[in-house]
Amino acid sequence: MTLTYLKKHTAYARIAMAQGRRERAELYGRVVFFAVILGVFSSLWRAVGEAGLPASGDPRALVWYLAATEWIMLSAPQIHLEIQEAIRRGDVVYRLGHPASYVMAEFAAGLGATALRMPFLGLTAFGCAFAFTRWTPPLSAIALFIPFAVMAAALLVALYLWIGLLAFWLQDVSPVFWVTQKLMFVFGGLMLPLAMYPSAMQKAAAFTPFPVMLFAPASIVLGTGLVRPVILARDLALWGGVMALVVQWTYRRAAAGLTVNGG
Amino acid sequence: MQPAVDLYELSKSFRVRRPRSGGIGARLSNFIAPDVQAVPAVDRLSFSIAPGERVAFIGPNGAGKSTTLKLLAGILQPDAGEVRVMGLVPSRQRTELAFAIGTVFGQRSQLWYQLPPRDTFELLGRVYEIDARAHARRIEALTAVFGLGELMSTPVRHLSLGERMRCEIAASLLHSPRMLFLDEPTIGLDVSAKAAIRELLLTESIRQGITLLLTSHDTGDMESVCDRVIVIHRGRLLWDDSIAALRKSFLSAKRVTFWSEAEHLDVTLPGVKVVSSAAHRTELEIESGATPLGQVVDAALRQSSITDMVIEDAPLDEVIRALYAKAERRCAT
Repeated sequence: MTLTYLKKHTAYARIAMAQGRRERAELYGRVVFFAVILGVFSSLWRAVGEAGLPASGDPRALVWYLAATEWIMLSAPQIHLEIQEAIRRGDVVYRLGHPASYVMAEFAAGLGATALRMPFLGLTAFGCAFAFTRWTPPLSAIALFIPFAVMAAALLVALYLWIGLLAFWLQDVSPVFWVTQKLMFVFGGLMLPLAMYPSAMQKAAAFTPFPVMLFAPASIVLGTGLVRPVILARDLALWGGVMALVVQWTYRRAAAGLTVNGG
Repeated sequence: MQPAVDLYELSKSFRVRRPRSGGIGARLSNFIAPDVQAVPAVDRLSFSIAPGERVAFIGPNGAGKSTTLKLLAGILQPDAGEVRVMGLVPSRQRTELAFAIGTVFGQRSQLWYQLPPRDTFELLGRVYEIDARAHARRIEALTAVFGLGELMSTPVRHLSLGERMRCEIAASLLHSPRMLFLDEPTIGLDVSAKAAIRELLLTESIRQGITLLLTSHDTGDMESVCDRVIVIHRGRLLWDDSIAALRKSFLSAKRVTFWSEAEHLDVTLPGVKVVSSAAHRTELEIESGATPLGQVVDAALRQSSITDMVIEDAPLDEVIRALYAKAERRCAT
């Protein structure tokens, strides 16, 4: 990878950040939504804890867990919608004709938007989690969690990129996106740590990329030692590689399809 | 001299599903074993364009114009035949070719919608690996030529279509391409915006020696910008010559309008018919070759003194319509 190649695709990240700064309303909307759901769930887990239900060991930890998973989820921009629109409108012909990798350009743009959102949503996540629980996990655990959250968000961007590429075949990729969201919910442990799920579900989840996107990094923030950072780094690299291959393969099929079925 | 574009027997087909009509059985077979047919979009197309030429590339809807442009830009791969653009094979050397060509698609946009054009221009500078200083100078020059001034810092969503189009064309010229492909660059523009775009394309092409290949359904674009026209129909070459030659070949008549002191003129000559007649105004259509124009004018002068006279060719639109109609008839037989 040359410096020119890197600069070229970094430019896509920068312009996506600039575009994100112009779309403040969406960012503010996400911040408010995030604060509301953390408020609702902190009340819920507190009520569950006070009722003595065996849902968790510590309701405060669950609120921090949710703050961590939602931070990752909400930071990743829904680039599949932008890709779908570009394909529908035909604007994609410009990008396909540029001397840059289409896939890398879209991925970099997604990362740029993520980089803009993460600080705002991170402050919301940790600020609200602290405000609602009056408690913080070990600061070292939070510090360790942050780079993993960034990597997990990048993996999520790659997943949305893949969904967007399906627009070369599908009129509407929303159904695929919603199925993926449900799988995140179930196998990613969006609301509750996977460790609290039935063992069969935990075993099934291990074959999907969703736990490394949400459950595993979010578990680190709790500092319980449930997930070892080295193992998580390895799994993120592994799933990152798998995702890169799948995205590239899908793009090649899409480009071939374009040439067979018309533009 | 190496041609800017060189096509030889270029062909491209697309696979199109033809759904069977009928009940549930037909629907099921459509799903399990769809009837897929190859539809030729470009069919053994050959032509060559010299550097610096400005060529109109026209044809009716579905003729294969956009497909040809995408083949030339390396976005699509040909099924057969050979194609070279600036000496490069687009399907194999797409990235190298991207540095040598620019593309403008009238109904598409490469500008980031929420941002001012300047941001997209900066991005393109990186994408096309242009030295920062040279890029700044180029932006300055194009801003002056295209009159972009304040537009450069106005978000694209606030620009009119004409303003946006000027920015799109300037964006496509940022990396100083030697060839520009334009797909309906004036579509949807008002008369003055069209005129401005045509003027800019013509002057920039001449000034920078840029080869232009322009598709348009607007004959004004062709007449104002191009000196040669290539017509395709159902993916095949129908006509390749100058616009003047096209007119000459397909122009079967001239129109002459007289304003006379006499209330009516009665010019009875072979191949001359009255198109319209009003008080002191007579419009005639004269079949080419039937009666020399001078004889018609003499005949009119013998009847009355003439206060004014206009001689016109048929509009290019009619010429092209005649060409398409002829091609359709040939296909039908």
